[in-house]
Amino acid sequence: MNDQLAVNHGSNVMDDSTADARPDKGNRRSKRWSDLLRLREIQLTLLIVVIFFAMTAYRPGFASQSNVEFLLLGSVVLGIVTIGQTIVIITKGIDLSVAPIMGLSAVVTGMLAQQSGLPITAAVGIALAIGIVLGAINGLLVVVGHIPPIIATLGTFGLFGGFQFLVTNGAQVSSVPGDFNSFGNGELVPWIPFQVVLLVLLTAAVTVVLRWTVFGRNVMAVGNNESSARIAGVRVRWVVFLTYVISGCLAGFAGLVYVAHVAAATAVTGTSDNYHLQSIAAALIGGTLISGGRGNVVGSVLASLFLTLTLTSMVFLGIPAIWNYGGQGLLILAALSLEGRGRASRPLGRGSR
Amino acid sequence: MTRSTAPHINTASTPEPQHRRLREGLTVVGANMDFSSVRVLNDVSITFKPGEVHTLMGENGAGKSTLAKILSGVYTATSGDFSLDGAAITLGSPRVALRHGIYLVPQEPALMPHLSVAENVFLGAILTRGRLIKHIDWKTMRKRAAEVLAIVGLDIDPDAAAGLLTIAQQQLLECARALVHRADVIFFDEPTSPLTDTEVARLFVVIRDLRTQGCALGFISHRTDEVLDISDRITVLRDGRVVDSVDRSEANEQRLILAMLGHSLTPAKQIEQSRTEGGPVLSVRNLNSSGWFKDISLDVHPGEVVGLAGLVGSGRTELAETIVGQRKADSGKVTFLDKDITGLSPAKVLHRGLTYLPEDRAKHGIFADLSVQHNITASILDSLHRKFGFLNQRSERTLATEMGDQVQLKPSWLLNPIRSLSGGNQQRALFGRLLLNKPHATILDEPTRGVDAGAKADIQQMIRRLAAEGLAVLVISSELEELVQVCDRVLAIYEGRIVQELTGKQVTRVAIGHHIVGSQATHE
Repeated sequence: MNDQLAVNHGSNVMDDSTADARPDKGNRRSKRWSDLLRLREIQLTLLIVVIFFAMTAYRPGFASQSNVEFLLLGSVVLGIVTIGQTIVIITKGIDLSVAPIMGLSAVVTGMLAQQSGLPITAAVGIALAIGIVLGAINGLLVVVGHIPPIIATLGTFGLFGGFQFLVTNGAQVSSVPGDFNSFGNGELVPWIPFQVVLLVLLTAAVTVVLRWTVFGRNVMAVGNNESSARIAGVRVRWVVFLTYVISGCLAGFAGLVYVAHVAAATAVTGTSDNYHLQSIAAALIGGTLISGGRGNVVGSVLASLFLTLTLTSMVFLGIPAIWNYGGQGLLILAALSLEGRGRASRPLGRGSR
Repeated sequence: MTRSTAPHINTASTPEPQHRRLREGLTVVGANMDFSSVRVLNDVSITFKPGEVHTLMGENGAGKSTLAKILSGVYTATSGDFSLDGAAITLGSPRVALRHGIYLVPQEPALMPHLSVAENVFLGAILTRGRLIKHIDWKTMRKRAAEVLAIVGLDIDPDAAAGLLTIAQQQLLECARALVHRADVIFFDEPTSPLTDTEVARLFVVIRDLRTQGCALGFISHRTDEVLDISDRITVLRDGRVVDSVDRSEANEQRLILAMLGHSLTPAKQIEQSRTEGGPVLSVRNLNSSGWFKDISLDVHPGEVVGLAGLVGSGRTELAETIVGQRKADSGKVTFLDKDITGLSPAKVLHRGLTYLPEDRAKHGIFADLSVQHNITASILDSLHRKFGFLNQRSERTLATEMGDQVQLKPSWLLNPIRSLSGGNQQRALFGRLLLNKPHATILDEPTRGVDAGAKADIQQMIRRLAAEGLAVLVISSELEELVQVCDRVLAIYEGRIVQELTGKQVTRVAIGHHIVGSQATHE
């Protein structure tokens, strides 16, 4: 019977008189410069290069090996968290709890290492497990509990933050063993920390997953139109659940990278640095739509580097740290206003004309 | 006369605006409109005169909605001269247009779902009272809303939430809003496409009433029969240009279709009654869902097209959604290929070979930003993966191209986002998605809603062809003509119950029309 349905209609494609007014707009694959310049990734790369050279011209010390490594490593932690955040936002969700997940992972692995010499390999497992379990809690609240993501993860933000306080119980991580240190600060070659290579690989892997796997395509479909996805047979709740698990898992891993890098963690690690807001900011600056359906992790990671670079530059310029928040806020507003214009200039394809 | 509608509305508590009567109407000369360098309107000149229903016809993408939106201030034209009663005007925004008395009833009414009907009617013209402290005059607003609603034939509680209204009621509410704003140039952007025949008739009564009062009415449609019914003048657009403009007396169906398409249309031909051998593919028994439908039983056999005729709100869409697993039934059983599928998830139902084409393409069908190709293959990705969930790009491309060919989509469109296609071509792509699942049965909910005449005929032919190849089809449609054209058998549903089954020669517009409004009258 299935074979019967292979309708043979020849190739009489519809004629031009009924063709659309604008058939070939949109996804043209032309590689013209003006098109390239409109890509958020290219814009961010140019901005990063400009800021970096401007700062170097102003303060030659800016381009020193130690500062470059500091910049790169500083953006790795945010970058990892932002990758997970991006996937969640593409499905129209949001994950505020990444900050305490990251913090909890940092204090648990850090304290175990400090007190009982936990090896780094086991620490990776624990960090991922913490992230997966907590991410799954978020996912369940959203897809089974039907709680809006912003509420669900606001709740778990408090809850997981509470766990973090309980675990530390007033103590804090102040040193880590050697294998942690080489995991956090090791270099593949001079200037290029091991962690940066890891982030690049992770970014590439997630990009591939989002573009060329069934899961990735389903994430895009769900973000674009959840109802259509359900009717098209996509297991929407499973896909959404997985995005929170991935986000939690990456936040957990970022916590380990953090504690290995700075060799310190407290009851407020993660939340005090506003990793939840920073990761959302970086995702949006990187070109992900808060309304879902579009986004890419390359932009997110570049935006993480951009944010870190901007904050470091402010320090170099002697701008008091209290302006950090204000500066970040302005960056988010700037990115979103660009987005608003991008939206408005999209072809008006809905409805009949 | 006051601004056309004032006689009906007592405006004692607000200052009366200047009384003015529409004399010459609204004119535009040489309008051009570009969307990102593509010209969608080309040198369009047209006049909407008082006391006249002036219809804009054309296929989707011809520019008729764009023209209405420009004339009501939603879009700003690239160039063109506008005048109202001979005086030049500019239309910068809907608010400015409304101040000139121009109002557009949009294709999809944009009401505030959580506000009451009365608040929606008076949105932008909220009544206030009190001299020192102005406050909202709820009492008068409620009373006047009821009056205006009565004028447009809407019998609903002004305090009800607007989100509860059907699309037909929402449109009538939009008309009420136009009256409250004293608009005398009113555009209706394809108001009839989601409406049933009875609802269309009711809307036409309101439109004729407005015409008698001296309003200039712009009406958009591509259904020739209703255009000939309501219009005084008809202007046909094709590819953004005016290709024909005639008085009703000189117009006929042939001429209009020829002008719209640029070539004449071969109508879908009624194929002989299909043979229905063997048992039913899809079988529904005593299905109940409180508030929607009661005790529904039906069978669809292979090779058969069964129509489900009913008014919007009769429970037909809810029934379809329950069959395919999107809603839970209270009781009853759905059997598909001799297996009980009651209560299975939509994904499972789909993968067993029962597909569903939803009524609202934008809301439940397409992924607007994704490419046409990705839209077509969205529901068969699981069968395209190789290892670790990676997609086999090449076979995806091949499948999408082949399917695009079958549903008559140009290969060059496959990589464009689907939102850049017209409604008809989006629907073709959704048909492609549906067929890629190799269905044994399919439920099509308003398969030609919001689709241009060319695509409509193609889709209707495709339905017949698929049935001839053995597919079991259940078609839900508000268009009686469509049901007559494509169905072997029609079930009439009224207030959630199947009230009549019509087969063979019994399937006529008149017969269906009778039963879906609950009429018991006998007829031949």
